[in-house]
Amino acid sequence: MPAFKTPFNGYAVKFSPFYEQRLAVATAQNFGILGNGRIHVIDLSPAGPIAEIAAYDTADGVYDVSWSESHDSLLVAAVADGSVKLYDLSLPPTSNPVRSLSEHTRETHSVDYNAVRRDSFLSSSWDDTIKLWTIDRPTSVRTFKEHAYCVYSAAWNPRHADVFASASGDCTARIWDVREPGSTMILPAHEFEILSCDWNKYDDAVIATSSVDKSIKVWDVRNYRVPVAVLNGHGYAVRKVKFSPHRASVIASCSYDMTVCLWDYMVEDSLIGRYDHHTEFAVGVDMSVLVEGLLASTGWDEFAYVWQHGTDPKAP
Amino acid sequence: MAMRELVTGGAACAVPGSSSSSNPLGALANALIGSSSQKERLQEIPTSTLNTSGSGSGIYSGGGEPLSALPGSELEHPLQHEGSGFINGFHAANDQTQRLGEIWDGIQNPHFPGIQGQTNFPLHQLQPELNGPPQRVLSSFLHSFVNSSHGGVPFGPTQLPVLGLSEGDKRCIRDRSSIMARHIFADKTEDFINGQVNALLSSLEIDNHGGLVREHMPGRYAELDQYWGESQVMGPRPHADGWADEFSQQHGGDPNAWALSFERQHGAGGWASEFQHEQTQMTSVDRMAGANIPSLAAMEQTRMLAHTLAQNTNPKFQNSKFLQFVSKMSRGELTIEDNQVRPATGDWANEYQQQYNAGPSSTSWADQWADEFANERVHHGPVDEQWVNEFSKLEVNDWADEFGRQVGEGILGDDSADNWASAYDEYLNEQAVMKQKSESSRGVYVFSDLNPYVGHPDPLREGQELFRKGLLSEAVLALEAEVLKNPENAEGWRLLGVAHAENDDDQQAIASMMRAHEADPTNLEVLLALGVSHTNELEQQAALKYLYSWLRQHPEYGKIAPPQLSDSLYYADVARTFNEAAQMSPEDADVHIVLGVLYNLSREYDKAIESFQTALKLKPRDYSLWNKLGATQANSVQSADAIYAYQMALDLKPNYVRAWANMGISYANQGMYEDSIRYYVRALAMNPKADNAWQYLRISLSCASRNDMMEACDSRNLDVLQKEFPL
Repeated sequence: MPAFKTPFNGYAVKFSPFYEQRLAVATAQNFGILGNGRIHVIDLSPAGPIAEIAAYDTADGVYDVSWSESHDSLLVAAVADGSVKLYDLSLPPTSNPVRSLSEHTRETHSVDYNAVRRDSFLSSSWDDTIKLWTIDRPTSVRTFKEHAYCVYSAAWNPRHADVFASASGDCTARIWDVREPGSTMILPAHEFEILSCDWNKYDDAVIATSSVDKSIKVWDVRNYRVPVAVLNGHGYAVRKVKFSPHRASVIASCSYDMTVCLWDYMVEDSLIGRYDHHTEFAVGVDMSVLVEGLLASTGWDEFAYVWQHGTDPKAP
Repeated sequence: MAMRELVTGGAACAVPGSSSSSNPLGALANALIGSSSQKERLQEIPTSTLNTSGSGSGIYSGGGEPLSALPGSELEHPLQHEGSGFINGFHAANDQTQRLGEIWDGIQNPHFPGIQGQTNFPLHQLQPELNGPPQRVLSSFLHSFVNSSHGGVPFGPTQLPVLGLSEGDKRCIRDRSSIMARHIFADKTEDFINGQVNALLSSLEIDNHGGLVREHMPGRYAELDQYWGESQVMGPRPHADGWADEFSQQHGGDPNAWALSFERQHGAGGWASEFQHEQTQMTSVDRMAGANIPSLAAMEQTRMLAHTLAQNTNPKFQNSKFLQFVSKMSRGELTIEDNQVRPATGDWANEYQQQYNAGPSSTSWADQWADEFANERVHHGPVDEQWVNEFSKLEVNDWADEFGRQVGEGILGDDSADNWASAYDEYLNEQAVMKQKSESSRGVYVFSDLNPYVGHPDPLREGQELFRKGLLSEAVLALEAEVLKNPENAEGWRLLGVAHAENDDDQQAIASMMRAHEADPTNLEVLLALGVSHTNELEQQAALKYLYSWLRQHPEYGKIAPPQLSDSLYYADVARTFNEAAQMSPEDADVHIVLGVLYNLSREYDKAIESFQTALKLKPRDYSLWNKLGATQANSVQSADAIYAYQMALDLKPNYVRAWANMGISYANQGMYEDSIRYYVRALAMNPKADNAWQYLRISLSCASRNDMMEACDSRNLDVLQKEFPL
C-alpha cells in the first residue's frame, strides 16, 4: 500500500475503530523538540493513493492521538505544550479543535480512549501525572500523581472499565483502578525507563512493557515477580508496544532501531516479523481492529506506512 | 466474550449476589453500549449515546448528566471498598454507582487531595487558529516572511526574543532533547553492559559510563526519588538538570570529567579548561547570562548523544537527520530561539574566532581554541552539514552573531583574551539595556555619510527614476537627499522605505516608514507597509496595530472597523474584520494582501497562500506580492512552488535583491546548495551591504563543501565569488 508522506516527523499512528480504511497520524516538527504539530486523518483506498480527509495544525508537536470509541468522528490528541485537544471531523476546520484541555504542566505524551465505558480517556504527561477526562467536562475528573518521572504512556484495560496501566521513566509500570485513591500495583518492570505499555486483549491480567533497555517484557499482574516473557531483539529503546486485537499472544513494537517488529510471546522464537522500512526512528505502530493482520507505523522519516503482515510495507 | 457481557457482569465477571440485569452498572452498560430494547434510554442520556453517524450535538456541552460521572471521582467520600478490587479478581464494584447523585456533587466540589489543585489552568476557549498558550502564538508566529525579514540591524529588539517567553521555549527544547537523549543514551549504556548490538562504544564517554553504570543501576530508582524530592523543594525544574547531575555523578562526581575526557580524546590543550573557566565565571552574571548555562549543559548532553550515535556503523544511523540535528545542536551550530531552531550562522564562537584572528593581537589560546573548533567541524564532516536544509529558516539576526560583530568592531575595546568572559557579561547587560532602548530608538533613521545627491535640484524625481530602473542603492541615496531637504514629505519617506525593504533592509525600511507615517498618518500604503514590516520582524502587536489602522483609515472599510477595538487588538477580531472587508469588496487586492499577512501571523499558511493567490489574480504584476507568496510557500514546506513565485517576481523586477536572496534560501532548503550560492552571490552583487545574504552564503558554502571559497566569502570578495559562481 502506498506510504503517506507527512511534512513533519511522525509520532503516532492509529486505526479508526469505526472505519477500516481510516487512520490518524500525529506529527511534530523538528523531531518533536520544538516547532509545530499536525494531525492528519487519512483514508486508504484499494487502488489509488492515500487521501487526506483532514489535517489539524497545532502550535506545538503532537505526540499521540487516540480515536474516540463512541463517536466515529472524534479524536483526542496529546500535544507537547501540555494540552489535550479534541477534534471532530464532522465539524468544519474552523470549529476545531472542539476542546483544548490545558492542565498538564509539561508535555502530554499519550492519550488513550476508554474502549469499555467509551465516555472517558486518559492522558499521561511528562509532568509525572496521568489525568482522567470525560468528553463532556471542561476539567479533568482525576489526576493520578505517583510516578516520580515522566509518564510516557497510560493504557486502559480492554475489559475493565476502571482499570488502566501506566509506564514511566521512573522505571516502574503501575496498575490503577480509578475507584481507588492510589495505584493498586507497582511493577518495577525494567531497570531503565519504561516507554510504553499495553494490555493483552484476550487475557485481562497480562500486560506488556517496553523499555529503553531494548526489551519488551510480558507480565501477569497476578504474579508479577517474574515476567511471563522477555522479548529481546530490538537494537535500541523500544518506543511503543501494542497487543494484537486478533491473536492473544501477538505483539507489535517499534523502536529507535528504526524497525517495527512482530512477536509471539508464547513461542520460543518469539520474533515472527521484522520490518526495516523506516529510515529514522520508528515511534508509532498500530494494528487494525477491523482488518486482521493490517499494520501501520510512522517514524521520524516523515512517512506513515500501512501494510498487511507478511508483505513489504514499501511495496506500492 | 462480548464486551457487553463483561461490563454488564456476564458469567465471567459476575459479582456474586448481584444480578447483571438489575445492577446499576449493568444498566449503565446497557445505556452505553445500546441495545434495541434500550432506545428510550438512549435519548435520556445524550452524553453517553453511541453515535457512528457524525457527532451528536450534545457531546461537548457541559455534562450535567450524573451517569457520565466516572467511578473514582467519588473518592472524596469515605472509602468503602476493601483493598484492590482489581487484584482480587477484577470484580466490578457495582455498588459504587448507586451514589451517582453524590458523585456528581463531589465533582462539583472536589476536595479529594488527589484531585485538588490540578485544574487551575483556565480552559482555553478556542479560536479557529492555533490555540496554544498565548505566548506561543506570540513567540512563534511567522516562519513566513522569514525570507524577507532580515534587516541587517545590529541590535533590533527582534533579534533577542522577549526573554520571558523564549526562555520557556528554550527550556522546553532543552528538556525535550535531554529526555529524548536519555532514552537513547541510557540504552547505549545497557548496550555496552550487555554486549549486545554493540557498535557504539568507542567514545570515551561510553567507556567511562560503562564501568559505572552497572553499580549505578540498582540505586537508580532511589536516585530518581531524590530528584523528585529536590524538585518538590525547589519548585518545578527541568528534568534535564537532574539528568545532567546524574551524568556527572556517573563520572565519579567530577564535573570536569567531561572536559578532561574531551581533552584526552582530542589531545587539546587549554580548550576544555578554558571552557570550564568561562562557565564558572558566567555563573555570577545576571539572569540573562545565567540562562545560558543550562543551554551549555544541554549542549553537552546533546553532544554526547550525537557522539555516541555517530559511532554507530549502521549506515541508517549515519544518514539519520535526527542524528545530524542533535549533532549540530551539540556544537552550538543550532540555536533555539523563539520557538524556532536556527542555525547559529557564524555562531558566536566561530564569529569571535574570526574577528579575533583578524584583530591585531590575537593571543595564543584564542588561536588554539579556534583550531579546536575548526578541527571539530572538519571531524564531523560534510554529512552533518546537510541538516541545515531541514532546519534553517536562516534567521541570522542572532544575538550571538551580533556579539561577534561587536568584537570585530572593537566595541568591547579590550584586546585581552582574558577579558573575554567579562566582556561577554557586559555585552549581555548592555544588550538588556539596548533592548529597552531600542524600543524607543527604533524609528531612528540612519543617513548615509557621503551623499552625492545632496544639493540635487529634484532628488525625489531622481530617486523615483532610479527606483524605477531598479538601482535601489542609488535610489536610496537620492531619496535620502529628498527627505533631508523636505523632512515632511511623506511620499519621499515612503519610497525610501520601499527601496530599503526591497534592498533587504527592514530596519531602515521601518524607520523610513515611521517617518512617513508621522508626516501623513492616514497614508494607506504606509500603514500597510508598516504592518508587513512588523510582521517580518515578528512583532504581532505592532503589526496588528498598523494593519488595523489601515482598515480604519480606509474610505470604504473604515465604517466596519469599530474604533474602540483599537485599544485592545486581538488577532481574532482583526482577522474577522478583514474577512468582512474582503467580503464587502472581493475585487480589492489590498484586502487580500493584508489577509495573507494576517494568516502568516497565525501561521495558517494554506489560507495565506490562498489570499495571496487571490490578490495576484487581481494584481498579477505586483512583484512584491509574488515575493510574499513565495515566502509563504517556503514557510509551509513548498520550496519548489516558492521558487516559481520568486521567479515571477524576478521576471517582473530583475533587480529585486530580496527575491534573489529568497530564491537562494529556497534552493538551500531543498539541499541544492550550489544553486543557492549562485543566487546569493547575485543578490550580493546587487547589494553588498546585505549582511544576511553573506551569512546565508557562508552556510551554503559549507554545506556544499566549498571551503575553498570561504575566504573569499569572509573577505567579501565579490569578484572571486562571481567568477566562481556565475548565474
